[in-house]
Amino acid sequence: MFFRLLMESFRRQRRRKMLAGLAILLGTTAVTAMLALATTIGDRIHKELAVYGANIVVYPKTDLLDVKIGGVDVKPATGGSYLKESDLAKLKTIFWANNITGISPELTFPAQLTAIPNHGPVPTRFTGYWFQHDFGTLKTGAGALHPWWKLQGDWPIPQHPEKGPSEENEVVIGSKLANQLGLSIGDRFHSNLTSVTSLRVTGIVTTGDEKDSEVLLALADAQRIRFGVSPHSTDASPNARDNSDAISRVEVSARTKPEDAFARVNPDSLSPQQREIWYCRPYANSIAYQIREAIPGAEASQVRRVEQSEGNVLSRISGLMWLVSAAALLAAGFAVSAAMATAVLERRGEIGLMRSLGASKGAIALLFYAETGLLAIFAGALGYLIGSGLAAWLGARIFSGDGGSAAAVLNPVLLPVVVALALVVAIAGSTPSIRSALRMDPSAILREDG
Amino acid sequence: MPKLSLIGMLRRSLVHRRARSLSALVAMTVSAGVATALLTLYADLDAKLHKEFRSFGANIVITAPATAPLRPDALEKVQQAAGPDALAAEFAYAVATTDRGTAVVVAGTDFAAVKRLDSWWQVDAWPDASAANVALLGQRAAQFVADEKAVTLTFAGHAITLHGAGRLRTGGDEDSRIYMPLAAFTAWTGVAPTVIEVQIPGGAATVESAITRLRHELPQLQVQPVRQLVEGESKIVDRTHALMYGAVLLIALTVAVSVLATLSASVLERRRDFALMKALGGSQLELMSMFLLEALVLAIAGVAVGFVVGSAAAWAISEGNFHTASLPRLSVLPLVLLLNLTIAALAALFPVRVLRGLQPAALLKGE
Repeated sequence: MFFRLLMESFRRQRRRKMLAGLAILLGTTAVTAMLALATTIGDRIHKELAVYGANIVVYPKTDLLDVKIGGVDVKPATGGSYLKESDLAKLKTIFWANNITGISPELTFPAQLTAIPNHGPVPTRFTGYWFQHDFGTLKTGAGALHPWWKLQGDWPIPQHPEKGPSEENEVVIGSKLANQLGLSIGDRFHSNLTSVTSLRVTGIVTTGDEKDSEVLLALADAQRIRFGVSPHSTDASPNARDNSDAISRVEVSARTKPEDAFARVNPDSLSPQQREIWYCRPYANSIAYQIREAIPGAEASQVRRVEQSEGNVLSRISGLMWLVSAAALLAAGFAVSAAMATAVLERRGEIGLMRSLGASKGAIALLFYAETGLLAIFAGALGYLIGSGLAAWLGARIFSGDGGSAAAVLNPVLLPVVVALALVVAIAGSTPSIRSALRMDPSAILREDG
Repeated sequence: MPKLSLIGMLRRSLVHRRARSLSALVAMTVSAGVATALLTLYADLDAKLHKEFRSFGANIVITAPATAPLRPDALEKVQQAAGPDALAAEFAYAVATTDRGTAVVVAGTDFAAVKRLDSWWQVDAWPDASAANVALLGQRAAQFVADEKAVTLTFAGHAITLHGAGRLRTGGDEDSRIYMPLAAFTAWTGVAPTVIEVQIPGGAATVESAITRLRHELPQLQVQPVRQLVEGESKIVDRTHALMYGAVLLIALTVAVSVLATLSASVLERRRDFALMKALGGSQLELMSMFLLEALVLAIAGVAVGFVVGSAAAWAISEGNFHTASLPRLSVLPLVLLLNLTIAALAALFPVRVLRGLQPAALLKGE
C-alpha cells in the first residue's frame, strides 16, 4: 500500500514533483560545480603561479660569497665549490619527491667570445642548463622553470662526445648580446675556451634580466668546455675529470603548502613526534630540509619572494572560492527548502484526506519523507553529474592546458557529500510544513480547500 | 460589508496565507541577498587581488646609466610620476671588505621604504629608522663576518663599524649582502644611489602606462619591468576574475530558477481564488495585475532585506579572506532590484496560460 501510494504520487503529480526536483537539481548542480572547482583551485593556481619560477634554490654549502650587483658578478669567483649533477637523481628519493614539478641545474662561468666580425674579444658569461631534460617522469629544464623567457629559434641540443669529436656546439644567446654583436640564428663564432669547436647560434632568448647578455648552452657541453678537455687535447688532469659533472646552482619548483607558524620552527628543536609531523608536511622549509639531507654538501633555501607571496595569493584565492561555495551552499539550501515547503503546503488537502481515512501521523510523515528522499537522491545524483561536467568545462575554459580525464572530472568523494546534503536540506525544508499540516484538524483542512 | 480596496485585498492576501507569503518572501530575500553579496564581492575583486600581489615586491626597476648616478631628486620625481599608490625605494651599492678580508656587496637604502616594499624579507629585527650605523646582514654574508654585533667594513681605505641589528633571509641575492642606511652609506663611501625599485599596484596595462610615464619624465634612466611579475599577476587576476564571473552567473541562475519554481507553484495553487474572483466579475487583466502586484510587493520587500543581508555577507567574506572590508555598494542595488522584479514578474505571469484555460464554474464545483 505504502509503495503504491509512493509510486502513484510520482506518477500523477508530475508537475509538482518536477518543480521540487528542478530546485534540488539546480541547487546540487551549483554546489557540486563550486565544490569541484574549490577543491582543484589550489593545483590550478599553483600551475599558474609557476610563471614566477623556482621557489627553492640549492647551492654548494661552502660556496664563496656572491659579489653581485644587479645580477652582474662584480668579482667573479675563481675556483669555488660545486654540486654534482649526478647527485640530483637523489631528489627522486626524498619524501616529497612527487611534489617536485621542475628542476633546473646550471653552471655559470666567464668566457670571451672570439672570431666575431668587426669585434675584438667580447667578455661575457656562459651558462649551461638542462633543456627538455628527462628527469624520471618529468621533462624539465630552464624553459620550464623560466616560463617568461621568450625564445626565438630552438634550444640547443647537447653534443655526443662518445660518438667522436664534434665540430660545433649549439648555443642560444641573449637578445642584448645578439643586438650588440649583430649575431643572428645560424651564425658561428668561437670562444677563448673552445679554440677548435665552433659555437653555432640556434636561438635568441629574451629574459628581461642579465641573462640577456649571456650565452646559454646545454649543461653537458658547458661542463666539457669549462672543466673537461677538448676532444683534441691530451692533458686530461684528474682534477678536471672530477669536476666533469659540476653544477653551481639548482633551481627547484615544488608544490608546497603555504607557510604557517609551525612551518617556521627549527625542526631540530622539536620532539621526535612533532619533527615527524613537520617533516611530512609539504612546507617549502621541509622540502628544502629534505634536499639538504639528500644531497651532500648542499645548502637549500626557499626563495622567499616567490614562496611567501605565492602562498599568500594561493590561500586568498582558494579561501575566496571556499567562501563563495559556502554562500552557494547556503543559497541553494534556502531555495530547496523553500521549494520543498511549498510542495508540502500545496498538499494539505491530501494530508487531511489521509488523516480522515484513518492514517496515522507517523505513516503520513513517512510517506512524505520517502517521497522527498527519493526526489533528493535522484535529483541530487543528476545534479552531481551535471555540476561535475560544468566544473570541468569552466575549469578547462578558464585555466589553459588542463586535459581533464573522466577520473579528473568526476570526483567520487563529492557524490555522497552532495546527495547527503540534498537529502538533509530537502528533509529539513519540508519538516516545518509537514508538522504544521499534521497538527491541523483534518476537517478544517478539508473544508477550507473544499 | 466594507468596500474592498486593492490595498485591502493585497493586505488580506498576504496576511491570510502567512506561511505561503513567508516562504515566498524568504525565497525573494535569498535571491536578492545572494545577488547583492556576489556582485559586491565581484565589484572590488580585482582591486583586492592586486593588493595581494603587492607582496611580490617591486615590479619596475629603474637603473641609472653607468656614467652618472641618480640625481638627488630622482626618487621624488619617480614617486610623482608613479602616483601616490606606488611604493619606491632607492639603493646604492658598493663592494667593501669585511674584517675577515672577504669582498662583500654593501647596499645603502631606506629601511622604512624597504620594509613596505619587500614584505617577504625575513628579518630578525628591523633596525631603528633613526639609528645611523646599523646593518642587516644577509644570512650568507653573516658567515664571513667575525663579529655580527660590531661589523667592521673597509671601502677604499675608509673603515666603518656598524652595529648588526640582525640577519636577513630571502633565498635570493640579498642573502649575500649587507644592508645599511643610505645616509651613512653615502657619507662613508661617497657612492650615490643607482637603482630605484618601484612597485605599481595593478595589472599589466597599469604597469605599462606607468613605465611610459616614467620613461617620459626621466629620459636619461633605464626603466625595466620585472617581467615574470607583471605577466603573472595579470594572468592570475584575469583567471580568478573569470572564475568568479562563472560562479556568480551559476549561483544567480540556480537561485533564480529555484525561486521561480517556488513562486509560480504558489501562484498556480491559487487557482480557486482566481476562479472565485473571475466568477465575481473580475476581468483577466485585473486578476493578473492583482497577482503581479502581490509578487512585486514581495520582491521589493525581498530586495530591502536581501540587500542588507547580502552586504553583510560580502563584508564578512572579504574581512575573513582578504582582511579588508567590502563596504556596501549602492551601485549594485538597481541590478539586484531588476533581477528580483524579473523573477517575480515571471513567477506571476508564467502560470497565465494555465489559468486562462480554466473554467471558473468547473473549478469551483471541484471538478
